[in-house]
Amino acid sequence: MSELLAVFLGEFRRIFALRPVFSVLVVGSVFYAVFYPQPYLNEALRNVPIAIVDGDGTVTSRELARRVDATADVAVTMVLPDIVNAEREVLSRTIFGILVIPKNFERDLLHGRASPIALYADASYFLVYQSVSGGVVAVARTLAAEAETARLIGMGVDPVLAGTASDPLRLTAVPLFNPQGGYATYVLPGAFVLLLQQILLMGVGLLGTLPGADPGITATDGSRPGPLATVGGKMLAYLLFEAFILPLYLIALPYFYGLPRLGGVVPILILAVPFVLSVSGLGLVVAAIFRSPLRVQLVLATIGLPFFFLAGFAWPTEVIPDAIHVVSLMVPSTSAIGGFTRLAQLGATLADVRSELLMLWGLAIFYGGVACILQFRERRRYARNAQTVAA
Amino acid sequence: MLARRQLRPGFWLVFWREIDWLRRRPFLFAFVGVVPLALMALLTGIFSAGLATRLPIAVLDLDSSDLSRSIIRMVDATPDTAVAFRAGELAEGRGMILSGKVHGLLMLPLNLERDVFAGRRPEVVFFYNTQTLTTGNLTLRGVNAAVPTAAAGIRLSLRTAQGQPIEEARAAISPIPVQIHALFNPTLNYVHFLLAALLPSLLQIVIVAASAYAVGMDVETRYRLRILRRLGGGLWPAMAGKLLPYTVIFMLVLGVSDAVLFGILELPLQGRSWLLVIAGFLFILSCQLLGTLLALLLRSTTSAVSIATLLTSPAFGFMGIGFPRLGMNAFSLGFGALLPGTWYLTARIDQTVRGNPLDLSWRPILILLAFAVGLAGLVALRLEWMRANAARDAGGAPKAVLSEAGS
Repeated sequence: MSELLAVFLGEFRRIFALRPVFSVLVVGSVFYAVFYPQPYLNEALRNVPIAIVDGDGTVTSRELARRVDATADVAVTMVLPDIVNAEREVLSRTIFGILVIPKNFERDLLHGRASPIALYADASYFLVYQSVSGGVVAVARTLAAEAETARLIGMGVDPVLAGTASDPLRLTAVPLFNPQGGYATYVLPGAFVLLLQQILLMGVGLLGTLPGADPGITATDGSRPGPLATVGGKMLAYLLFEAFILPLYLIALPYFYGLPRLGGVVPILILAVPFVLSVSGLGLVVAAIFRSPLRVQLVLATIGLPFFFLAGFAWPTEVIPDAIHVVSLMVPSTSAIGGFTRLAQLGATLADVRSELLMLWGLAIFYGGVACILQFRERRRYARNAQTVAA
Repeated sequence: MLARRQLRPGFWLVFWREIDWLRRRPFLFAFVGVVPLALMALLTGIFSAGLATRLPIAVLDLDSSDLSRSIIRMVDATPDTAVAFRAGELAEGRGMILSGKVHGLLMLPLNLERDVFAGRRPEVVFFYNTQTLTTGNLTLRGVNAAVPTAAAGIRLSLRTAQGQPIEEARAAISPIPVQIHALFNPTLNYVHFLLAALLPSLLQIVIVAASAYAVGMDVETRYRLRILRRLGGGLWPAMAGKLLPYTVIFMLVLGVSDAVLFGILELPLQGRSWLLVIAGFLFILSCQLLGTLLALLLRSTTSAVSIATLLTSPAFGFMGIGFPRLGMNAFSLGFGALLPGTWYLTARIDQTVRGNPLDLSWRPILILLAFAVGLAGLVALRLEWMRANAARDAGGAPKAVLSEAGS
């Protein structure tokens, strides 16, 4: 027990004493907390510039253009004579869509014929396409419903019934948990979990590869603490450290950036314990495999991006091949991103994330065990070397 | 190797020394050559389904009428959604969303059919999870396509029941149809788009960090820098010989991955491939020079690699692939503009999906050229400054140089 305590205290001290570790775990955590969310803070695309090619030039066509311009999604920044010119403007990225109102638009509408309009939307960026098409289609739909109701009333149908006939079955779509469909609200809760994992992995990897990676050696007789005490003591030290950083990332930062949180703090912290322990264990294994601080840094820096796409967050788990998904469960973030997001953003209970909770405890035990075995083997090799030297 | 070692000092000596060095450091070779390709293979595997189809949703059918059943069939039949569960009550459906089993819940109210034909406009409600934005929106797209189709059928029958001819009724129910043309990406397939953008993002991290590491090893002390200069017969040939082996490797990595993407997976390549190659070369060169500059400025290899990874590993968000640069704040626009990857990806989108005409293709490529020239200039300035410093120190305080050489 005293061995465990010695390792724990020694390792906790090293976090602040070693400059590279301090830069990653403390400075890095603060830096990423400010830096990483920046691109997403505007939440949504507003007023995406589009052009209008108005071949009709009537009151109704101008009314349509005015209403399209008035939506939050798009802004009409150009009125162009023909589609060839407009396409060049799209290619040079000054506009992202072209709304073509054909000749006789108003006449056909008044005559009760279908009066189509054409929208050319830049689909090379997903969100741009979504904004442009969403904005224009919504306006066209409202205008169409008005026209249809007016026509039916003209035919002598009762106004209430006319409304019914043009829209007999209302579909109300209720977005849950992220009602504005904000991009920051979507991406940041998951990204924060991944950042926590990558920063801690890097920190543990550095601690395990920099000089003095074996704390707790007693000064008097130079005896080394046992493998179990070493691994346990280190993991407890990381747990204590994360007791400060994890609430910053999963509770304070979401609050600061205005991300909605439905769940309580306690379930988040309960899931956090196996998450931190499993990442710590993985970090110890990574350190034992790569054995040099530079290698640890290089490898971990590149692997973060693929981890994000494995978590079923940006790309649904249902369509990830099973073999890849099963292997990806070995990485804590795969379970943790979904687990934390559902607890915090969706307000799920611990029972709803039971499988994630069990998975993370399993990983914590597994990586802790592997780290112990690696420590044990290392000690045996060390002892054998010492024997040969003595002989 | 012996014949090569007898070469006179110059570019080729440093070039072969670097290749020899790579052979003796399997980790570095794996990092620059194997890791990007392996991660690319992994990402290709993750996205191998192509489109996210048949996402599970739950249905709560309180009506159990012909109409409600036909709506459920239609929702199940859209490519986006699949009715995976029947919920008995609202709470059960909510639980399925919370535990992640389904992405949405479609609720069909009691007396739906009766109310529709009585003109009471009942309300069908779709609850969907927008916390996972893309997935949530895809399920909404499916329901949004299916329910209005069912409603249109009812509208048509209401009109024909009043004696309106079917053709006229059909025109009347959609007075302003919007014909949407998805420019440059008619199938709206974003997987390929994402995949084609991910490798450059990974490469940017690998190139900047590996260059900082490789150059850092040779410039960490003045003594080592002097050896490099002697071997190269001058600073310029030495630096060129140091960097070129990696340029070749990275071009090969990019080439192999693009050959797979465009050749085997048949991603669209509408533009000019030679422009793509030029842009790729300038991108690789810019990243290498950025890493070199970090190594020269920071001197310690560890710090150089740390800063390199600190700047490049979160860069994906700043390059405007997921959330476009159009909607970013001023800081993110500025930082994104300083990344070579932003401009390479712009050029890449121009030449792959958009097929820009030649005169509208040069901007991002010229910016990359400016990056390469500007960074080379900064590297040159820093090297000259270091040499001037070393010369001054050597003249003024020979002891200091001796002690450093000894350390």
